Amino acid sequence: MAAISLSKLNKHYGSLFHAVKDVDLEIADKEFVALVGPSGCGKSTTLRMIAGLEDITSGDIRIGGKVVNHLPPRDRDVAMVFQNYALYQHMSVYDNLAFGLRNKKTAEAEIKVAIERAAGMLGLHELLQRKPKQLSGGQQQRVALGRCIVRNPQVFLFDEPLSNLDAKLRAQMRIEIKRLHAEIPTTSVFVTHDQVEAMTLGDRVVIMRDGRVQQIGTPLQVYGKPANKFVAGFIGAPAMNFIDVTVRSETAATSVEGEALRLTVGASQARALAAHNGRRVILGVRPEHLVLGDGAPGLGFDARVEVVEQLGSEILLETRVGGASVTAARVPAETVIARDDQVRLWAQAGRLHFFDPETELPISG
Amino acid sequence: MAMVHRSEFLPWLPPMGRKTLFALALAFICFAFAFPVLWLILTSLRPESGVYYVHRGTEFTLGNFAEVLREERIVEAFVNSALIATLATVFSLLVTVSSGYMLSRFTGPASRLWFGTIYVFRCVPYISWVLPLYFVTQSWGIYDTYTGLLLPHVAVHICFFSWLMKGFFDGIDPSMEYAAMIDGCTRWGAFIRVAVPSALPAISALAVLCWLFTWNEFLFALILTGNRVPMITVVMAQFVTEMGLRWNLMAATAVMALVPAFLIALFGQKYVIRGLRI
Repeated sequence: MAAISLSKLNKHYGSLFHAVKDVDLEIADKEFVALVGPSGCGKSTTLRMIAGLEDITSGDIRIGGKVVNHLPPRDRDVAMVFQNYALYQHMSVYDNLAFGLRNKKTAEAEIKVAIERAAGMLGLHELLQRKPKQLSGGQQQRVALGRCIVRNPQVFLFDEPLSNLDAKLRAQMRIEIKRLHAEIPTTSVFVTHDQVEAMTLGDRVVIMRDGRVQQIGTPLQVYGKPANKFVAGFIGAPAMNFIDVTVRSETAATSVEGEALRLTVGASQARALAAHNGRRVILGVRPEHLVLGDGAPGLGFDARVEVVEQLGSEILLETRVGGASVTAARVPAETVIARDDQVRLWAQAGRLHFFDPETELPISG
Repeated sequence: MAMVHRSEFLPWLPPMGRKTLFALALAFICFAFAFPVLWLILTSLRPESGVYYVHRGTEFTLGNFAEVLREERIVEAFVNSALIATLATVFSLLVTVSSGYMLSRFTGPASRLWFGTIYVFRCVPYISWVLPLYFVTQSWGIYDTYTGLLLPHVAVHICFFSWLMKGFFDGIDPSMEYAAMIDGCTRWGAFIRVAVPSALPAISALAVLCWLFTWNEFLFALILTGNRVPMITVVMAQFVTEMGLRWNLMAATAVMALVPAFLIALFGQKYVIRGLRI
């Protein structure tokens, strides 16, 4: 059993900077949790506190039910993959892999078996006698993964391990990590600033901002039911569009009005918005939920195309609605469209989000 | 700083002309550096009567070297200089490596105090150290002893080279040490088993610089030693006597003093360059 439990975890740097604020998180045994957020949100500090590389200011960290607050990293039975690989440059790949086991006084024969197994899983057999400097970035990261696997720890910690790789390699390594977790189900915490990595790898995703947890949920939950405007904007690429609108609750229907835009709202959301009648709210709609052509009545609006980004599989449109509002839409790659074209975009029914402009919390029915 | 593209340098010259000019400038600079050494070697090979017209004499001799080697005091000075340089290098590296590591990795009050201390000493002009050190070594009864010369050298090296070592460790990714700590090492173990081996090229470079610095040092050797511990740099200066200058012997001693320094620099240059690139 290696569940991880963080309760009321805080980290202060001096009296001025409060890096991690009251983080509560329960990670089940064998679960893969991704911590995601912008730079400086406290996700790496949280991970380093779990690893024991950073002292905690207050709160508790439990690994496998045992409080590890004051245990040094070597006694926590965790393994960690770092952003810049952190391979021992003066040792061969074999010695890098054996380092942790030799520290535990494991017999050389056993070490050899463990390394053979890890090398087989990661395709490292031909690299075992090389020095890290003789390896490519992807190979070095595979060695770093192997170093974790051979130790067979209770917990895997990943600190932005794919950030230094190019886009293609990043996608490959993402699959490799996913496959490894399926083969060796071990409790894993993965820190990243890339929401695609978090969504694709995590059984659950933890979104952090300014040291606080914003939302914890499955990828579908954080995408479909964001806990606030920040999460809504952070999850999803391209990011969700936000447009200032005013609520108009009338007997026949409830609608929201913005500059050159009027959308009719469904019954359940209308009930929630009734309390905001005549007030300004923030409308959120994802680019993938805007379509060209025909749509449901009351959900269309005119826009002028400003930028056309042809991606091959689809087109991303940057459009201007009225004077200032800028929105984006994803449309089929075959669409014939050019800058300055006037188009009619349709929001998909039931895919509108509304947020209170002051609290930034969702207004939901 | 923007790099100057080669074609922007003297653009009115054809490429071949630029190359020739560059080669000539390089040759001139090399010659300017090598000339005093060549002159010194020539002087050391001239008889005493010929040292003032080195450029036109044709008579050469190894007699100067034989005469110098017959002087017991000079041989003793060579041994002393080599011994002090080696011991000072070993002792100062023992402190400098851990001191540089601490300055690089820790930001607590102890580290700040140590940084401030060596900063202050670093700013004190070298010559200002000598007189107080003379009185200290006198009062401690270690004037004109190995210890009396070794301790000031080690102290100066620690102040001067801790900075360099800090720079070297700054260039080494601390994640390696974190990985080692997770892999079962203590902080000290991570330093010894991971940080130090990674910094080995830099440590070798520092060892070479340290050794050469002590070997060439004159001021401490002059003020802090008397007759009991002759040092090569001081002995060389003693060829300037009331009876006149013994240029030929001084040049022969200087050439001999060049040899170990030259060999160390020659075999150590690989490490110095690798170390300085960290």
